[in-house]
Amino acid sequence: MNEENLAVQRTALEERSRALFQDSVERIDMHTRSRLTQARHAALAAAERARPRAWFMRMPVLTSAAGVAAAMVLGVSLWLHAPVVHHGPPPADAANFEDLDIVASSDNSQDNVEMLQDDLDFYAWAEKTAGGEPAA
Amino acid sequence: MSGFGTLTATWMVADSPAPATRGVVLEQTRALDKFLAEIERRAFRMAQMALRDPDDAMDVVQDAMLKLARNYATRPSEEWRPLFYRILENGVRDLQRRRTVRKRFMTWLPGPKEDPDHEAQDPLDNVADNAPAVPDVLMQDQAMQKLEASLRELPARQREAFMLRNFEGLDVAETATAMGCSQGSVKTHYSRAVHTLREQLGEVW
Repeated sequence: MNEENLAVQRTALEERSRALFQDSVERIDMHTRSRLTQARHAALAAAERARPRAWFMRMPVLTSAAGVAAAMVLGVSLWLHAPVVHHGPPPADAANFEDLDIVASSDNSQDNVEMLQDDLDFYAWAEKTAGGEPAA
Repeated sequence: MSGFGTLTATWMVADSPAPATRGVVLEQTRALDKFLAEIERRAFRMAQMALRDPDDAMDVVQDAMLKLARNYATRPSEEWRPLFYRILENGVRDLQRRRTVRKRFMTWLPGPKEDPDHEAQDPLDNVADNAPAVPDVLMQDQAMQKLEASLRELPARQREAFMLRNFEGLDVAETATAMGCSQGSVKTHYSRAVHTLREQLGEVW
């Protein structure tokens, strides 16, 4: 009998407290309700953002990433295989440039022709001598 | 199929929702919205009763909604309720722990001490209300205040068990999941909570 009373009291307490709680929930003010609704929408929006996207939805991002990667590869390959630039003439061509320098610097070329004509007899003798035996 | 084609196909199967699954995702979002709309007020009141601060209660509920939507939206909807309340109870406990630490820290500092109940006096509380008093509402308010005060006196686990079982209507298994303990512990906590509350409120009610 005593246990039955206890059980009844327990049930009454549970029902009364549940009713009171439900009543307090119903009387939540509009401002709080509005804030709860906003919080719910924010949570759903965050979940939507966190959801993994389809591959074609990620294409703009992938395209940009691929473009940057390709540009980097191209830049590195151009940098590595670029021809070596030498500042100054190569050694083999140095003599040509020297000759050109001499010719360019000889502004009295007419004098040289006259000098050649003056020594024409000497060159003719030298050629004849060289025809017989090599000059010493 | 070429290697690239195979790779693309595998990628699509793994990642992209086909038109059919996109509909499923939409349906899932609607279901989650409905679920949260159904429980948000009760969750807020339970958090408010535990924390005694509406702003803190709002923060905890919002955080629980966010975590549920982010991490468990794809789980079966039957699991949402215990998961949500588990997140909520963890949030409440974390906040209470932080408050305890802050209170200890504040006692070491010089200057005005923090009000232990965080209840600043609202000037509007002293303004006379000219509206006619409604006895039923007043009695309910008083009864609810006594219930809240008695619930706050309970150990945290007993309070959780009582609110989840009695207010939210979770069964023993769901309450155990929400509280992160065994079903036997839930029964023990709940029984002790009812016993204590009956002793405190029995005569008044």
